[in-house]
Amino acid sequence: MTRPYVPWLLLGLALALAAVYLFPLYWMYVTSLKTGSEIFANPPTFWPMAPDPSIYPAVWTRRTMGTFMWNSVLIASGVTAITVVLGTGCAYVLARYRSAWIDFGLFLILMLQVLPASVMITPLFVGFNQIGLLNYPRTAVVLAAAAKAMPFFVVLVRATFMSVPRELEEAALVDGNSRVGAFFSIVLPLARNGILVCAILTFMSAFGEYIYSKSIIQDTSLQPASVGLSGFLGPNSTDWNSIMAYSAIYVTPILAVFVLLQRRIVSGLTSGALK
Amino acid sequence: MSRFFNSMRDGVGFDLILVGAAMLFLLALAGLPLVYNVLMSFQQVDMFTLGSLIRPFAGFTNYVAVVAQPEFWLVTKNTLIFVFASMAGQFVIGFALAIFFAQNFPGASTIRGLFLVSWVMPGLVVGALWSSILAGDFGVLNFLLRSVGLIEGTIFWKSDPNFALWAVVIANIWLGLAFNMLLLSVGLAAIPRDLYEAAELDGANAFQRFWTITLPMMRSTIGAVMSLGLIGTLQQFDLFPALTEGGPANTSTVAGYWAWQMSFQLYDFAKGATISVMMFVLVLFASVVYVRSTRHEVRG
Repeated sequence: MTRPYVPWLLLGLALALAAVYLFPLYWMYVTSLKTGSEIFANPPTFWPMAPDPSIYPAVWTRRTMGTFMWNSVLIASGVTAITVVLGTGCAYVLARYRSAWIDFGLFLILMLQVLPASVMITPLFVGFNQIGLLNYPRTAVVLAAAAKAMPFFVVLVRATFMSVPRELEEAALVDGNSRVGAFFSIVLPLARNGILVCAILTFMSAFGEYIYSKSIIQDTSLQPASVGLSGFLGPNSTDWNSIMAYSAIYVTPILAVFVLLQRRIVSGLTSGALK
Repeated sequence: MSRFFNSMRDGVGFDLILVGAAMLFLLALAGLPLVYNVLMSFQQVDMFTLGSLIRPFAGFTNYVAVVAQPEFWLVTKNTLIFVFASMAGQFVIGFALAIFFAQNFPGASTIRGLFLVSWVMPGLVVGALWSSILAGDFGVLNFLLRSVGLIEGTIFWKSDPNFALWAVVIANIWLGLAFNMLLLSVGLAAIPRDLYEAAELDGANAFQRFWTITLPMMRSTIGAVMSLGLIGTLQQFDLFPALTEGGPANTSTVAGYWAWQMSFQLYDFAKGATISVMMFVLVLFASVVYVRSTRHEVRG
């Protein structure tokens, strides 16, 4: 019944939709390559007249992006490490049993998943101030952001553990493995891919973390790239090619990883996000 | 004692350690601050008492003061508009795209996956991109709208009080659209094909099939997506400092950004905490809906 050309028509439409949707990204790269006056041209040009890639190294040094990016990597790594180490075990237990207590724990975690960072930052800041953690601002941000990231991680990884057959673990126990041994040598390796995908997602979102860092870290040399960007971005910003070059340097690594692992990330999300 | 260690290695003790470590961490860094927040909203907090736990009790003064702020009702209205407009936009467009990508054509799932790029990008960068697209005199959106003939003059999206909030809404719809679409796609894929075939044999047209099969079968998915959308929108913060900074004259300030401004720009931590508590009540409502709509799936 379906005419043979219909799928190709749909494919064309899908590509058009994707092009419209991803236009802001294209615009970021194009704008970064334009000269100052061309950005303000009316009508706008959709391809730079004289692409000038020298803006990239210039912005990198002028905005001390090396420091900012390094701090972002440090913070994101810390958040990911805490989240993976603590969250994996928690997700495993929540997937393994069914009881009223487990339901209660899941309920708590789902509840924590919904707390907006803008609600949490005031008490966290005052609390950190009282226990003196503000003297180690990056650690403070890592702790706060890890607590923010963990519920989502647990919910996703739990779905991964649910798909590991119970029988394999039980067979290992019958064969004389201890619970610890079975966990590390049977269950974890089987769930490795799912955990890895969720860890990457956690890293990506922590890499773009803004509100905690902005509020807690005052010292410029300790701030991550998001705060560095906010330093010259606002309703009245004019330095558009620098902003776009900065943004491009900031997001290109994330985009590259995402495109490479797209299939896995999407399947990891779809198996876990709704459960 | 050895029984204790055996249980660590081989019994319930192992599970308790695994789940306990995470729970303790979350309790310390999410549970405690939450309680502390409520406590602060009933206290008098200023620069002198910031370091101490016991502060003068203030009763409901903070709440009265927040409601008496001249911008209180404006912010409330903005929050509602922002939340519902973003949710509606994300949901309707997301649903339409999900149905489109559920059709059978080559590359459907790969192209759909590309949409998710918006979701992994740092919110501040998304704000920067849209800030340049929405710019008044040189922005590309104005140019496109003008060449299509939708508008005649120039819309100053970020500095016109009538449009500032909508500028953030547009950026937020772009940001959250893909995630909505993905979750809805999962729901769509779970509907058995033969239902549609049976309906088609019975002579139901596409609209009737959507109305009598797709929507009812998707009810729990839609509930979960809606409440996740509400939660995600209430969590949105990064777009505000990047696009409008709440201006002009607070016309694009929403509750979350207002609470942050109180605490970190005016250093009025008590009011910041009070607004946070009010907002938390709203979030709590959303999450109860969310948990209810996912409950049977959670039990898996």
